[in-house]
Amino acid sequence: MALKELIATIAQALVDDPDSVEVTEIEGDHNSLIELKVAKNDIGKVIGKDGRTAQSMRTILTAASTKIGRRAHLDIVD
Amino acid sequence: MTENDDLDDAAWDSGDEGEAEDGETEGGDVSHAAAGTEEVADGERPRKRRKSQDDYVSADPRANVALKFVTDVIREMEMECTVHLRRPQEGNADDEINIEIAGRDAGRIIGKKGQVLQALQFLTHRIINRPGLDRRHILVDAEGYRSRRDNSLATMAQRLGRQAVEEGKIITFEPMNPRDRRVVHLALAKFEGVITRSDGEGDDRRVQIIPVRRTAGAGAAAPN
Repeated sequence: MALKELIATIAQALVDDPDSVEVTEIEGDHNSLIELKVAKNDIGKVIGKDGRTAQSMRTILTAASTKIGRRAHLDIVD
Repeated sequence: MTENDDLDDAAWDSGDEGEAEDGETEGGDVSHAAAGTEEVADGERPRKRRKSQDDYVSADPRANVALKFVTDVIREMEMECTVHLRRPQEGNADDEINIEIAGRDAGRIIGKKGQVLQALQFLTHRIINRPGLDRRHILVDAEGYRSRRDNSLATMAQRLGRQAVEEGKIITFEPMNPRDRRVVHLALAKFEGVITRSDGEGDDRRVQIIPVRRTAGAGAAAPN
């Protein structure tokens, strides 16, 4: 499943500390819960002003998961 | 910039390699995307070093970082699309990075009302415009969707510019995103008799077209 890699690709490009990016995916039959964890100092970079960066990642995640007939939810965990 | 260079290799090797069946060698993609050549996201075999006449090789390393990012994202989205750099539009060449996506899944990349495209462009902008660097304008388009839309927006702006002059009234647009506001500002930058400015904060920021007397100096419009 590439959804996890998709979020990792985006997050690693956004943050200052790409080595600390951790993405886990919990797969259900038709759903995926994707949890993104980044270094403390980078949380702002993956959320963005008014959550716009996180919103953009979710939009892209939705487009990718729709293509493969799934629903995906992105959580940013700290 | 260096942190982007090795995203592909090893960074998440612990994950399963479920997508390996399409036969792409990940390492090969990196150099070829970074060189600004055509990229095939999924499905068919990548054609190395092949250039179409649309391909544009930029001397700007940040353009190649942007190209690589979009190419990587499109591949991870498993979209059948190609990604390449386009020559910047006339008049704003130096600070513009212009990326074009084409192919079977372009509709999915555009999304409802261009939302997916907008998201991709926003993320690319965040990645390229780091604090302390001079600003690049990032344009991400798919199958000409944005340029068509920009053209109609620019045409409408000029029509409203004429109306502002004729009626001597300030015309205010609906709230728009920064890119659309920029299109309006640029469309009216050389338009006699009006200046444009943006007013309001965040999601409520709107462009105003303000009629002026001929004495107004040049460059009164502040893009954004």
